[in-house]
Amino acid sequence: MERNVPKNALFNLALAIAVFIAALAVTSLVNSLAGEGAAIFLGIAFLVTLTSWFQMKLEENERLERLEVEELARTRGESALFESKDSEVFAARRSREQFDKFYIPGFAVLLFVIEALGAWFLWRSIDKSTTPIVDMRATASAALFGIFMLILFLVGRFSVTIARLQDNRLLRPSSSFVLAGAYVCLFTALAIAGVKAGFPRADVWVARAFSVVLGLIAAETLLTLLLEIYRPRVRGKISRPLYESRFVGILAQPESLLTTAAQTLDYQFGFKVSETWFFKLLKENLFMLLLVQFAVLLLSTCVVFVDAGEQGILEHFGKPIDVLDAGAHFKWPWPIDHVYRYRTEQIQSLYVGYQPDTNEEHVVLWTVPHNQEQNFLVATHVSTAVENETPEEGNVMEQALKAPPVSLITVSIPIQFEITNVMDWAYVNSDTTNLFASLATRQVVRYLAGEDIDELLSSGRFDAARLLQDRIQEDANAHQLGVKIVFVGLQDIHPPTPVAADYEKVIGAQQSKLAAILSAQADAIETNALSLAEAFTTTNLAAASRFQLEKSWYARAALFTNQIPAFEAAPSVYKQRAYYTMFADATKNNRKYILLVTNTQDVMVFDLQDKIRADLLNVNPE
Amino acid sequence: MKNRNIVSILIGAVIVVIVLMLLFAFQVRYAQVAVVTTFGKPVHPAITQPGLYFKWPWPIQRVYKFDGRIQNLEDKFSENILHDNNNLILTVYAGWKISDAAAFYPKFAGSVPNAEVALEGMLRNAKSAVVSSNTLSAFVNPDPSQLRFEQMEQQIQDAVQAQLSTNNYGIQLVFLGFKKIELPQSVTQSVFDRMKGERQVIINSEKYEGQKEATIITSTANRIASETVNQAKATATQIMGEGQAKAAEVLPIFEKDPALANYLLRLDALQQALNQKTTLIFDERTPPFDLFTSIPTNAPSVAPAQ
Repeated sequence: MERNVPKNALFNLALAIAVFIAALAVTSLVNSLAGEGAAIFLGIAFLVTLTSWFQMKLEENERLERLEVEELARTRGESALFESKDSEVFAARRSREQFDKFYIPGFAVLLFVIEALGAWFLWRSIDKSTTPIVDMRATASAALFGIFMLILFLVGRFSVTIARLQDNRLLRPSSSFVLAGAYVCLFTALAIAGVKAGFPRADVWVARAFSVVLGLIAAETLLTLLLEIYRPRVRGKISRPLYESRFVGILAQPESLLTTAAQTLDYQFGFKVSETWFFKLLKENLFMLLLVQFAVLLLSTCVVFVDAGEQGILEHFGKPIDVLDAGAHFKWPWPIDHVYRYRTEQIQSLYVGYQPDTNEEHVVLWTVPHNQEQNFLVATHVSTAVENETPEEGNVMEQALKAPPVSLITVSIPIQFEITNVMDWAYVNSDTTNLFASLATRQVVRYLAGEDIDELLSSGRFDAARLLQDRIQEDANAHQLGVKIVFVGLQDIHPPTPVAADYEKVIGAQQSKLAAILSAQADAIETNALSLAEAFTTTNLAAASRFQLEKSWYARAALFTNQIPAFEAAPSVYKQRAYYTMFADATKNNRKYILLVTNTQDVMVFDLQDKIRADLLNVNPE
Repeated sequence: MKNRNIVSILIGAVIVVIVLMLLFAFQVRYAQVAVVTTFGKPVHPAITQPGLYFKWPWPIQRVYKFDGRIQNLEDKFSENILHDNNNLILTVYAGWKISDAAAFYPKFAGSVPNAEVALEGMLRNAKSAVVSSNTLSAFVNPDPSQLRFEQMEQQIQDAVQAQLSTNNYGIQLVFLGFKKIELPQSVTQSVFDRMKGERQVIINSEKYEGQKEATIITSTANRIASETVNQAKATATQIMGEGQAKAAEVLPIFEKDPALANYLLRLDALQQALNQKTTLIFDERTPPFDLFTSIPTNAPSVAPAQ
């Protein structure tokens, strides 16, 4: 019997590689995701059986070597042979030790990587898969996987029994993987058959389950590697192979769950945990405990707690019988009664025309794209400004005629609502939120299509929000959505980003116009004020001159009247006196040149030009 | 021990009942419809009322449950040409429900996605037909009364419903509406160009209107200022005239001795002339400098020729 073990391991290996290649081929023909998972699992099974068989061969060689050495020792007595070093004598043992020390941990790491990558690859394939199962090959593929299952099950079951009877630790991993491979093939066959039977998601579900199983096996391998570092090492105690998966063992033999658990605990703690009273009690009453747990689970479905802000619809055999408010409620257990909860008091939001940015900007500008805004068509009068242009400005006219008489506008409309009638919300429409968004979008499109862009950008927006709220609410009522709109906002309405800068330039031009007018008004005020001041000055000066003229002539007349007697008294002297008085007074500050001419033949030349200053700094204050 | 067995039996019985219920019974929820097939053949009529129903276990009978509520469908965002040769990209949303599950099940093999594919095809067909017979002004118009949204939606719905009824698909189209309307990318760019052109017209209008008004204001102010100043000058001249007239009233006094008066006036004129900063050159004959010629000096006088 003992000799059958390596043969059994070799058979496991041959079977694993054969089924792995066959499963791979069938999967590629039928496009099954579950088949991909099965192929990955069988590939891992092949690696485990290969390593198991190889390790078994090494141990067998070591055993034969030991027997041979013992035999030689008996027949030849003490010999120089035994004085040599172990490494020279026990070559097979040395090889096995090296294998245990380096290959096994390395293989365990490699196994973890393959398992993890396999799980990740399968999960990603499910998400990205667009190719359905080939219908015409589905039946044959399911049958083939059924045959794989049968072969693997028979061989695996036999192998598991051999491993258990002989307590062979090296055969255990390969037999567990082969037997688990049988179940994997069974579920793959069921998945393909399910697709064929009208359950298109069956393949995806099974593949998803395989992905999870692979992930769990990878996690277990990693955990085993980590625990191996801290495991207490007892001399002479034979360790479990690092590549053995207890999880796969449980999958292959669910009935061995407790045994495996006991072995695991014994192995990790270094004493017989499985012989403690608690463990024995647990083992004897496990079924009872499971039943009680199931009963408790079933009873727990008789109570339901509805949270604050929620309402629940209680269905009895699918028939809605009550609306539950917040609090604890009793009901029949599953599957008789069922409660569906809805957050009725929570303010919910939907967005028309935009999606709120997760990266919230502190500054929102028309000219910078934000919130993934969409453009809406909006009516426009064939621009009154354009219509008034003269034909010479044909460029603009041509452009206006080429494009349809519509404009584009960007609006961001958040809508907030709450559920007021949970029955309508839950039972009238299958996807009420989506329908509500469609209705709201339709009303916005409808409204904007009948509004002029310029009016909308100015005064119209104040009425728009109110009008839209009324219309959307009417629509929601007509479609029995069971909601009440609490807020509709036109928080951001502006021309699309590519033309936003031109709209801003208009505002700039309006400001420039106002600035020019205000500047002219300021100048006009200055001009008018200065002219008034000048006029006032002119008239005042004239009045002053008149006053001076009048007064001076009156004074001179009076003076003259008094001068006449003086003149008549001494006409000659009076005149001379008047002349010299005036002369002295008038010329006292003037520069005077007096020529005392002695020679009338002389010619005198005077340069009477004004002297020009050499430098302004060289001022001569005379 | 006996009690434990009773408990085990009870719990086991409950589990058995549950398993049997799962095999022999099924629930139909409110707003669900169900079709029961016996060896693949639908059993009429479909179940539309909620509650607990019984059936033979699989593979004898199978139950196909469908959502009886209104389901949403949105067709592809597709481009259509209008009657006036404008192009629009439109999408419609529709609400449909399974009105006859027994008819629905064999038509679409019980698959709602299959039904939606078929329904979408009909929707697009009807949409294209209706849209192409309307002009852009029916979709976008500054006069809301000219918009024809409701009429077009009703036409599409009627066309699709007629097809559904004729072929007995077991589907009812409950409502339909335009969800989104857009212009093709190339036309959108033209619209942007036109919008920019309109803005440029307004910008120039604002700019030159401002200059015009500023010029008017400045010009008016200058005119008023000129009028004010000239008016003041005229007033000043008038005032000066009045002053001269007043001053002339005393002229007869000077007629008493015209020679003296003229002499004094000349002196005044000369005095005013000399008040300026002037350089004066006199010879020795100008009084009072003629005194220089008659003043005796220490220089030896030249004896007169004998």
